[in-house]
Amino acid sequence: MLPQVIAVAIFIIMFGLVITEKIERHIVTLFCGLLTIVVLFGLCMRSTDAIMQTLNVRTLFTPEFWYNAGSSEDGSTGINWATILFIAGMMIMVEGMALVGFFRWLCMSIARLVKYKTIPVFITFMLMSAILSMFIDCITVILFLAAVTVELGRLLKFNPVPMILSEIFCANLGGAATMCGDPPNIIIGTSLGYTFADFVVNTGVIVLVALILVVVYFYFFFRKELTANNSDIDIANMPDPKKVITNKKGFIIHTLIFFLAVALLVTHAMTGLTVAFIGVFIALLTLIAAGKKAPTLIAKADYKTLLFFIGLFVVVGGLEQTGILEIISAFIGKISGGNPRLIVAIIIWISAVASAFIDNIPFAATMVPVIKSLAETENVSLAVLAWALSMGTDIGGNATPIGASANVVGTSVAAKKGYPISWRRYCVSLVPPTIMVLVAATLMIWFRYL
Amino acid sequence: MEKKQLIISVGREYGSGGHYIANKLAEIFSLPVYDSNLMSDLASENNLYLHKLSKYDEVPKKHLLSRTVCGYSNSPEENVANLQFNFLRKKASEGKSFVVVGRCSEDVLSEFKGLITIFVLADMKDKINVVRKNENVSASVAEVLIKQMDKNRKTYHNYYCKGKWGDSRNYDLSINSSKLGLDATAEFIADYIRKRTDN
Repeated sequence: MLPQVIAVAIFIIMFGLVITEKIERHIVTLFCGLLTIVVLFGLCMRSTDAIMQTLNVRTLFTPEFWYNAGSSEDGSTGINWATILFIAGMMIMVEGMALVGFFRWLCMSIARLVKYKTIPVFITFMLMSAILSMFIDCITVILFLAAVTVELGRLLKFNPVPMILSEIFCANLGGAATMCGDPPNIIIGTSLGYTFADFVVNTGVIVLVALILVVVYFYFFFRKELTANNSDIDIANMPDPKKVITNKKGFIIHTLIFFLAVALLVTHAMTGLTVAFIGVFIALLTLIAAGKKAPTLIAKADYKTLLFFIGLFVVVGGLEQTGILEIISAFIGKISGGNPRLIVAIIIWISAVASAFIDNIPFAATMVPVIKSLAETENVSLAVLAWALSMGTDIGGNATPIGASANVVGTSVAAKKGYPISWRRYCVSLVPPTIMVLVAATLMIWFRYL
Repeated sequence: MEKKQLIISVGREYGSGGHYIANKLAEIFSLPVYDSNLMSDLASENNLYLHKLSKYDEVPKKHLLSRTVCGYSNSPEENVANLQFNFLRKKASEGKSFVVVGRCSEDVLSEFKGLITIFVLADMKDKINVVRKNENVSASVAEVLIKQMDKNRKTYHNYYCKGKWGDSRNYDLSINSSKLGLDATAEFIADYIRKRTDN
C-alpha cells in the first residue's frame, strides 16, 4: 500500500507543478523521476529490478531496438528511449529545414499558387497544416504557418485569427493520422509496437473523414470574417517565395533528407528499421549536411522537452511498477461492465476531456499501460483501444487554448503580432468541431471494429 | 547642445491622483504621456485592432488558463504586456523623452540613464473621494473598487518585475499625495526632477 501511495503522491506533485509552471517542466519531471528512483524504488520497495526496468537502458543495446519494426518489447515499461531518440532526430531535421527557409518558402509558394486569394489560401493552409503535421511536430508547423498567416493577413487585409485557429485545429488533426505526427502517437506506437502503416490505415482514415468535415465547417464558420475587407491584389507586389531561401544547395539537401525521412517512416514495417534508428540516422544526415552549422542545429534542438520525457517516463514507471495503472484499468473495466463499445467511448472521451486541460503527453504515457491491462482483462482488442486513445488525446487537445502545444504556440504567435486570442474566442470557434470530430471518431471506431 | 533624455515613470495607487500628477509633469516638462493611449499608438503603428488590445491593458495573467510551450505563452494578457514593454523600450532606445504611467515602466526601462521613477500613494479617505467622484459610485463601492484595482495592479506588476509594486525601495521617490494635494505634489516632484537633471 505504501509504495502505491508514494507513487501516486509523486505523480500528483509532478502534475501540479507542471500545471502551475512555477518551475520549468523538465526540472519538475526530472526531480520527480529522481524521487521515484530514490524514495519509491530504493528506500520503499528496495527493488533494483524496478530501477533497471524503469531506466530501461539495456534496451538501447539490443539489436531489436534498432532493427525490428513492430517490436513492443520493454516498450511500455519505464523510459521509452525510442520515442526520445525519434523526437530528437526529428527536431534536428526540422531545425535544418528551418535554417534554409523551407517552411517560409512552402507557405509563400502555396499562397502564390492560389494567387493570394483569401479563401483558397485559407483552405490550402488548413490542408498544408494537416499534411505537414503528419510528419513534422505540430509546434514547428504552427510556428511558421501562423507567422506567415499574420504576414499575409496584413498584405491581403484579412483578419489572421480565424485562419490561425483553423490551422491549429488541422495541425492537431493531421498529427493524429500518423505514428510520428503527435507525441502521444509516438508513445503509443513505440510502446505497443504499432507501425506507421498501422496508424495510417486506422487513425489516418478517421482523420481523413474528419478533415473533410472540419474544412467544410471552418469554411462556413469563418468565410464572412475572412472576406470582409478583401480588395484586389497585385501579385507582382507580393513577396517572392524564392527570396526566403537562405541557401539554395542546403535547401535541396534538407528537402531531400525530409523526403527520405518520410519514405523511411512509411516503409519502416517493411524495412525493419525502427523509428529510433530512423530518428538517429536522419539526425546524423542533417548534421553532416549542415557542416559548420551542425552545432547550431544541436543547440537549437529542444533538449528540455527530451529531458521532460525522460523524467515523465520514470514517474509513470513508478505507477506501473506499483500496480496503480492496473487498478485504474480494473476500474474502467468495472464501470463499463465489460462492454467494448462503452470502454472505447470512455477511453476516447476521458482522454479528450483530460487532454483539453492538461498536457496530453503525460496523459498518453500514463494511459498506455492502462489500455494494455484493459485489453488483457476485458477481452477488447488492444489495437482498438490504442486508436481510441490516440484520437481522444490528439483531438481533445483542440478544445482549449492550453490543450496542446500547437494551440499555445499558435495563439502566442498571433498575440505577439498584436492579435490576442481570448479563451472565449478560441473555444467558441474550436469546441464545436472538436466535439464533431470526437463523435465521428467514436462512431467510426464502433462500427469499424466492434 | 542635445537635450538629455528624460523618462518619468509614474507608478500609482488607484485613486491616488497619480495619473493627474503624471499629466501635470508632462505639461511642466513638455513631454508626451503614455498611459492607456499607448495602446492606440501601438495599434496604429502596427495596423492592429485597438479594441482587441485595450481589454488586456494592465490586466494580470490568468495562470490557471495559461500554458507556456518552448517560451511561447497562450496568455493574451502576457503577450499584450510584452508588446507594450517592447513599445516603451523602442521609444526609449530612440532617445525619446516621455512620461509613462504604470505598465512596469520603472523595471522595463531600468537600463536607461534618463529614467526617474516615482510612486504615488494616498490616504484611503482621499482615494475614496476621488473614485466616488470619477466613477459616480458610493463610498463603499469605491473602497471595494480601490482594493480590487490595486490588487490587480500588484499582481500584474509583480509577475513581470523583480521589485514589488509600491515598495519604496523600488522607486526613486515614493510620495503620499494626500499630504500636499495633487498640484503641490506635482510641483514637489518637478523640483526633484529638476535637481536630478539640472533641467
